[in-house]
Amino acid sequence: MLKGVILTVPSDERLLETIQVFVEKIGLTAGVDEEEVTSLSIAVMEIVKNGMEHGNGGDPGKTVTISIDAFPGRLQFQVDDCGSWQPDAELGHKPGEGEELISCRGRGVLIARNLARWLDFGLSPQGNTRATLIWPLN
Amino acid sequence: MKIKEEMKDGVKVIRLHGKVISGPDLMQLKTVFQTAVNNETGNVLLDLGGVSWMDSSGLGVLVSGHTSISRIGGKMAILNATKKIHELFIITKLITIFETFTNEQEAIESLQG
Repeated sequence: MLKGVILTVPSDERLLETIQVFVEKIGLTAGVDEEEVTSLSIAVMEIVKNGMEHGNGGDPGKTVTISIDAFPGRLQFQVDDCGSWQPDAELGHKPGEGEELISCRGRGVLIARNLARWLDFGLSPQGNTRATLIWPLN
Repeated sequence: MKIKEEMKDGVKVIRLHGKVISGPDLMQLKTVFQTAVNNETGNVLLDLGGVSWMDSSGLGVLVSGHTSISRIGGKMAILNATKKIHELFIITKLITIFETFTNEQEAIESLQG
């Protein structure tokens, strides 16, 4: 069973594809169905990208850490960035309406919430943003 | 991501292959849309049949392209989105602004009309 897998990366969007491949390989190793692993990687990568862009302001000097642990029947991804999350009940719960619908941004958390079975935002013990995504395993 | 472009019966067909992911490749796609706008190409059919992966930034570029092309009086439609990509259009409600097709000839005829 996968335990304590940790990947720390600078906030550099050129690394996203490499991280996406890593997430898919971890998912397959942990037992995620091949048909579902694309959805898993899209959901996780939206959170990673969110951390790089919003949590770290795109500063390559600030890192995003992905911690992965498998438990019986589920796979957990914790994504920590250097920001300080503020509670926002609306975040990623509703698709854009009207002018927002044709905005070029702001869909990442919505997509992650809809693809993942469980996604929540909170703070790490250090007070930085921590997103936790749990994926069921068969 | 690979991008191929061709004109077919007066419609610009843009075919994408691979992963539509944040990064330098997306700038290339933005440029393709901008060139279509600058050349007043008119109608654009975006073939996503070869796209295996897309994120919200990719969707954002598609929306931006759609808006720019609409502003010059053109239309943009989607062809052959895979089940996974189609799901993203549904989640984000973008399915309400993009016309989608699974038959290229039908798509071209619709854009011509």
